[in-house]
Amino acid sequence: MLPMRIVKRQEPLGFGGSFFVIFSALVVSLLLSAFLLFLGGTPPVRGMSVLFQGAFGSRWALEDSVLKAIPIFLCSLGVAVAFRLKIWNIGAEGQFALGAIGATWIALSFPAWPKHFLLPAMIVMAMVGGGLWGLIPALLRQRLKTNEIIVTLMMNYIAILLLDYLVYGVWKDPRSFGFPMTPMFSEQAIVGKIGSTSINWGLAHCLILGLVVWVFFRFTRVGFEIKASGDNVRAARYAGLPYDRLVVLVMVLSGALAGWAGFLEASATVNRLQPSIMVGYGYTAIVVAWLARLHPASIGVAAILLAGLRVGVESLQLDLQVPSAFGGIIEGLILLTVLAGGLFTHYRFAWRRKI
Amino acid sequence: MAGPPLIRLAGICKSFGKVHANRDVSLTVAEGKILALLGENGAGKSTLMAILAGQIQPDSGDIFLREKKVQFTSTEKAIKAGIGMVYQHFKLVEAMTVAENVFLGQSGGWWLNWAKMHRQVVDLAEQYGMKINPAARIRDLSMGEKQQVEILKLLHRKSTVLIFDEPTAVLTPAEAENLFATMKLMVGKGKGIVFISHKLEEVMAIADTIAILRRGEVVAGMAAAEVTSTAELAECMVGREVLLQVDRLPLEPRQMVLKVTDLGDYGLRGVNLELRQGEIVGLVGVAGNGQKQLVEMVCGLRRPTGNSLRILGLEWARFFRSAGWDKALAYIPEDRQGLATCPGLSLIDNFLLTTRGGFVRGPWLLRQQAGIKALRLMQEFDIRPPDLGAFAWQLSGGNLQKMVLAREFYRKPRLIVAEQPTQGLDIAATEDVWKLLLEAREAAGILLVTGDLAEAIALADRIGVMYNGEMVDLFAVDDAEKVALIPQMMAGLASGEPSAV
Repeated sequence: MLPMRIVKRQEPLGFGGSFFVIFSALVVSLLLSAFLLFLGGTPPVRGMSVLFQGAFGSRWALEDSVLKAIPIFLCSLGVAVAFRLKIWNIGAEGQFALGAIGATWIALSFPAWPKHFLLPAMIVMAMVGGGLWGLIPALLRQRLKTNEIIVTLMMNYIAILLLDYLVYGVWKDPRSFGFPMTPMFSEQAIVGKIGSTSINWGLAHCLILGLVVWVFFRFTRVGFEIKASGDNVRAARYAGLPYDRLVVLVMVLSGALAGWAGFLEASATVNRLQPSIMVGYGYTAIVVAWLARLHPASIGVAAILLAGLRVGVESLQLDLQVPSAFGGIIEGLILLTVLAGGLFTHYRFAWRRKI
Repeated sequence: MAGPPLIRLAGICKSFGKVHANRDVSLTVAEGKILALLGENGAGKSTLMAILAGQIQPDSGDIFLREKKVQFTSTEKAIKAGIGMVYQHFKLVEAMTVAENVFLGQSGGWWLNWAKMHRQVVDLAEQYGMKINPAARIRDLSMGEKQQVEILKLLHRKSTVLIFDEPTAVLTPAEAENLFATMKLMVGKGKGIVFISHKLEEVMAIADTIAILRRGEVVAGMAAAEVTSTAELAECMVGREVLLQVDRLPLEPRQMVLKVTDLGDYGLRGVNLELRQGEIVGLVGVAGNGQKQLVEMVCGLRRPTGNSLRILGLEWARFFRSAGWDKALAYIPEDRQGLATCPGLSLIDNFLLTTRGGFVRGPWLLRQQAGIKALRLMQEFDIRPPDLGAFAWQLSGGNLQKMVLAREFYRKPRLIVAEQPTQGLDIAATEDVWKLLLEAREAAGILLVTGDLAEAIALADRIGVMYNGEMVDLFAVDDAEKVALIPQMMAGLASGEPSAV
């Protein structure tokens, strides 16, 4: 028998305590990663330092991290909305793809529209595309009692194949020498960069949308209803909350936010639609949402952290020949340690008394 | 078979806060005998069994195993001592087979011998009159078969005392008969059985001795052979001695707030009920005789099929479509944690759960205003801790109930459904709740569902008795003749028709 036993906390863990738990989880996951580096024959201390230098060590690196954090943040904001209701939307990746497709459709169809028409139209279409990709699993869940985890996950593959079909076929740029990509967007369809940096104005979209989501959950009736239903479904029915409608709503909102991220990635980052935008931001977003305990501001911090990880791993690959898949391993370790750390926020350990 | 008793409990006490869950309970489980433990929900049966199973420790009192004093400081110890529980909710691995479940968690060799395991399970089952396929997967089995697997698990680990927690609740009548046959075989082989139930006929049919628990105390213990009628048991269970006196001035009943005509859904059989503003109708009966279904339909959690429910003059569907947040229906459920509140949300959010309609402007929720109101209510109702930021799970049962009452009364309801409103509360809190309900009559009609006859008599203007989905009778509380017949009605022995005088 263990000399300790697990006791449920009578007082919730305060902010400092929660922060300490998450921070420790991060440290543990990085230690484990360093150990894996060591097993692979890479000097672990050097490896970790290259990782951090590569992520945040220079202006270029920092800008690249922020750039990658933008789509991660928006996707994560989206899944966090659904997670609040305990609806497990794993489909941010597909909703992101549909958003990019929707925005591209407008950009290619009306390239000559003035910027202040074209960009909003692209955003609306991106949200419609992403929202639709969220709506389908919600309706399937309601009508056919399917599991949203499986449906959203499988719809990711459909979305990616749809994107491939478009860029290899109907939307393919005739001048791309056979590369799968659409023609470059017109000047009006591109979200520009902030000053002399390489960071685009999508950062401002993130700040505004993050604020909107925060306000939504904190100050609106519907936001409250989502929070309450997520805590106790039976109480939701008792209090007459429209649970079924809320499920549809959060899935559409969730998809629309991921779709917005897809719009930014196509318009601002690559200026066209191409398969290379599908690099798993939608999955990283899930890790970020958990790491941040679904809070918008924390999602911002966590998004930059995990985006930095992606950027840093590239340096690791160049300098020390560590395979790029190592980034995925660290990400997985972070998720596992943070989830395991959840035990400490609800329970504490007490020494077993001698009897 | 006169040996020392298998298990003897002596003076077991356990309190949670101010509430005594068990008070000086002494019981004996003898070899080859079935002891039935009767009591309403919340009478302390579950606590007592949790103590026996080693899940919680008593505050005082001793447990003797064959007259040797023991302490069950963990569930492992209780299992080693030969105590086995058959829970209401089965603890089986659905995806595994019968044999795998039976052998699960038992120490043995490293290698598994399937043929031998299957043979052992079949042998064991046959000894106790059960027929079961050891290779069947649990998820394909009926409830009765799953229960047999639970029993086999205990028999296989050679438990000597088997505790059945309301085992027939999930069974068909035929399956229940099988279970009883198995139980007889088990006691025939010298096992001791504790049978927890509130089905009176079953207890009479199967038990050797009967102990009745009420408000944490053993109020009666008797040999089953001495009991002449189930009504006797019902009377002991619900009690009648007056613990508390409140002044109840009758009010003039006014507008009709609830009308139930010939309601027959979900196992109910032709229930009729009229409730007017200014009166309390107490609904009594042994749990599981249709009260839950009736309440859930009245409160909109289950949809009645026909047109037999009218609330505040509206048809059921129209009422729930159009009802506002206030001046309508308030439901104070028995399950405060699971149904009435969100344990993970703060008190202010829990206050807003049903009152949110009163604190909205456009899409906005006016939390500040709600906070001011809620804080005042918390002082008025003396809810502790008086902190709007505290989470609902941090509150004790009594405080949580006061919170729910404060919230529901704030809505100025015209129809109140209160289900076991004082269960688990101490005397002072009970008195507060009773006074609140009597005051609320001024504006509302109250349907009070209670397992405590004294409560019904103290508060209600009329009393309805439910048995087997039927409203046996509905009569004024000052009809002494009828009130005296309540135990018979609860046991299904008296029809409640006006007796020919």
